Amino acid sequence: MNKLSYCYDQSAARLQIEGLPDFSQGHTKDVMGIISFWRLQFIGSPELEGKRDHLQAMMSIVLPYARHRLSGINRSFGHSSSPVSIAPNGNMHQLLLRSSQPGVEPLTLNLDDAELSDLVRCLDSLRLDPRVQIPWDIPLDRPLSRSDLVGRLPLAKRFTAPFAGGLIFIFSTFIALLFPIPNTIELPPSTSLQEGATKIENKRTN
Amino acid sequence: MTNDAIASVEKQSSATLKRGRNLELSVNPSKTSLGRRGIERLDMLLLVVEALDLNAGEGMLWISNQLGFQDQFPNRVELWKSRCYNPLRRTTRRGQLAAVDTEALIQVLCMMADRLYPLLHQLLSSREPESLNKQRWTLLEDRLRDLLKERMNPRRGAVQRLLSSKDSENIFREYIFSLSLAAGPGGFDRLRASLLDPIP
Repeated sequence: MNKLSYCYDQSAARLQIEGLPDFSQGHTKDVMGIISFWRLQFIGSPELEGKRDHLQAMMSIVLPYARHRLSGINRSFGHSSSPVSIAPNGNMHQLLLRSSQPGVEPLTLNLDDAELSDLVRCLDSLRLDPRVQIPWDIPLDRPLSRSDLVGRLPLAKRFTAPFAGGLIFIFSTFIALLFPIPNTIELPPSTSLQEGATKIENKRTN
Repeated sequence: MTNDAIASVEKQSSATLKRGRNLELSVNPSKTSLGRRGIERLDMLLLVVEALDLNAGEGMLWISNQLGFQDQFPNRVELWKSRCYNPLRRTTRRGQLAAVDTEALIQVLCMMADRLYPLLHQLLSSREPESLNKQRWTLLEDRLRDLLKERMNPRRGAVQRLLSSKDSENIFREYIFSLSLAAGPGGFDRLRASLLDPIP
């Protein structure tokens, strides 16, 4: 068997993958097409191991998190049932890994910025390695939408302009209402008054 | 620098160049025109690189030549002129930075970040001795403030905020973290996408 093993080293992290070439896809013997096992080591942290699905889940969570973090957005990725989730935790990044085996407690790793960078570099090296021909289902790096970016502005800054605009509108409306509307319409003389006046004049003459 | 180190840097350069050429095929250059905030951020990140490495000016020119950007940046003046589109600078240029120059600047920045990655890692790591890291940060902040005073317009609010000690520490840390995420094989795409973010 052509068992292949590649290693991606950084200062504080090491990602090691083992697998086989996928000859049905026309790969040569040096190209890995099937990942059978992976191992991730951080200095001073427990070792992580798993199958390809877990690695895929980690990539699809960690890389978008790094992309958002680069745009200054601190938000968590992954939900309570996903195998991997990551969330900001003060100055650290809390990586939570849930085992697919029943009865195994989730493993939590608190990574600092340097360790997160190392992890991202390892995952980038793997997905862009020409020796590993595996279709990773990862969203492309694209500019974020305005709705995503609005969240990074503080509430005070976000609402100052519309609030000030609303106040100016209400104040100017109130000032405008204080001035009475000039009555420029000339009403026709009331017939009843005219009749009354003629009656008074008639009495005087009599 | 030893021969091995030079060989490894050249190997990295050629790999990045290949990546760059591949990207040119997939990227629509008309969409790489950065907005005002993008230019500000790109130039600030290059300034942080200069604060980290005293010879960064020469290094950028050497890397741009290695990456095949002689047409864009044949000398230091052209490199400086392309950075002067930053409206926060003392001497600014009107207009918009050309898409080709933008791509080239981002690639040069990513390559510089890749070279400086061990230093970035030290600054960001919580496992480093605290006193030593504090000294490193103080040195970096002093250098960066000097560069800001020298090159940026001090009447701008953004520059004043960077020069004030209260807010600047967090902002400088964000810049260092951004550089560390921009280094490495996938850093170019990530940084480029981030610089193209719309203004909220």
